[in-house]
Amino acid sequence: MGLSTLHNVRFAGMASCVPKRVISNLEDCPPSQRSERERLVRNIGIQTRRICPEWQCFSDLALVAVEKLLADLQWQREEIGALIVVTQSPDYLIPATAIILQDRLGLPHSAIAFDVNLGCSGYPFGLHLLGSMIAAGGVKKGLLLVGDKSATVKDPLFSDAGTATALEFDASAPPMHFDLNSDGSGYKAIMLPAGGHRQPYGIEHAIPTRDEHGNKVHPGDLVLDGPAVLSFSTQRVPPAVERLLDYAQVGKDQIDYFVFHQANRMINETIRKKLGLPPEKVPTTLPDLGNTSGASLPVTMTARLHETLAAGKHKMLLSGFGIGLSWGTAVLDIEGAKFPAMIES
Amino acid sequence: MPTIEQFIEQFLIAVDFQEPVEVTPDTELRSLPEWDSLAALGVIVMFDVEYGKTIVGDDIKNCVTVADLHKLLG
Repeated sequence: MGLSTLHNVRFAGMASCVPKRVISNLEDCPPSQRSERERLVRNIGIQTRRICPEWQCFSDLALVAVEKLLADLQWQREEIGALIVVTQSPDYLIPATAIILQDRLGLPHSAIAFDVNLGCSGYPFGLHLLGSMIAAGGVKKGLLLVGDKSATVKDPLFSDAGTATALEFDASAPPMHFDLNSDGSGYKAIMLPAGGHRQPYGIEHAIPTRDEHGNKVHPGDLVLDGPAVLSFSTQRVPPAVERLLDYAQVGKDQIDYFVFHQANRMINETIRKKLGLPPEKVPTTLPDLGNTSGASLPVTMTARLHETLAAGKHKMLLSGFGIGLSWGTAVLDIEGAKFPAMIES
Repeated sequence: MPTIEQFIEQFLIAVDFQEPVEVTPDTELRSLPEWDSLAALGVIVMFDVEYGKTIVGDDIKNCVTVADLHKLLG
């Protein structure tokens, strides 16, 4: 679809929730790995992360975030026409987490509820999907819940979070512009190969093997091709941002904040430098909150900008990119929206 | 195109060695203590940001020495 514009959709508010437990990439590793970890942390820019206890799902975090947002907005449950969940960490393989949340939230049966299987790129896609329903007139108020439970103690990148965004129909709302793209030829760059119908779980997935460096590898683990993801991100994202700004007829100097998916410091700094953006306009939560997958745009907006965005009018550029491969950018105005501070649960 | 000496200077920054390392054009990449996936990412970024040249992981895998990497700029 590429470039498009939505009218009559107002950004009403956003809330984010992270688990209480903090993991340190430097301290929570065997002493023999300390020196190697220092170099890694310097380059990925992630010092601490948040991790859910075993019982806690992404949906539990998102539920806390959305309850707070609904209370701040003073929206009635029966007014909600749609609940879209963007996650790759559902409660169950089936049914959809969004439908379980419809009941947990006490939303009416008339609410549309379903899941979207997107990861790091997901936020602009979710915004566009819910926004399209609202722009079409059928849904007056809708909720978008985005996030993942992807943190492990061992992997130094990922961090858990759940977020909620509220959109509503408003004939006087400024336009929202989007650039949304997909390239499935890169599907192997980030994948969980086992557990689906192509490769169902078998006994062989329970037995760890060793890689060429002697590290233990679980055949059911996430596979991530670092160089491929880095090349994809740094080659695709900057031109997509330029293209959307050109389409929306907005100059870089007119954008108050550029919020990018928080992948790692190498990727994010390369994108920022290629676009010639000053660091003060590009907030980051990598050092303290790591890579929160699809939640990273809301998490960064909440953690770094919630007071700023709750007052005045701000023009934002939001860019998500990753697994799929998939990349999406949005330009929108935020004014008078509810922005509670980061919640821990 | 930068000289091999200038290139090595950038290369040392990109790989981010924990301890100082002597690198010549003939140094074999595999012999370097920190020649790992992180180093490869650093080199891809260096080519992109410093020299405006796009390379991929396989380009690096095909290089044996530092001079081979330098030739990718040609």
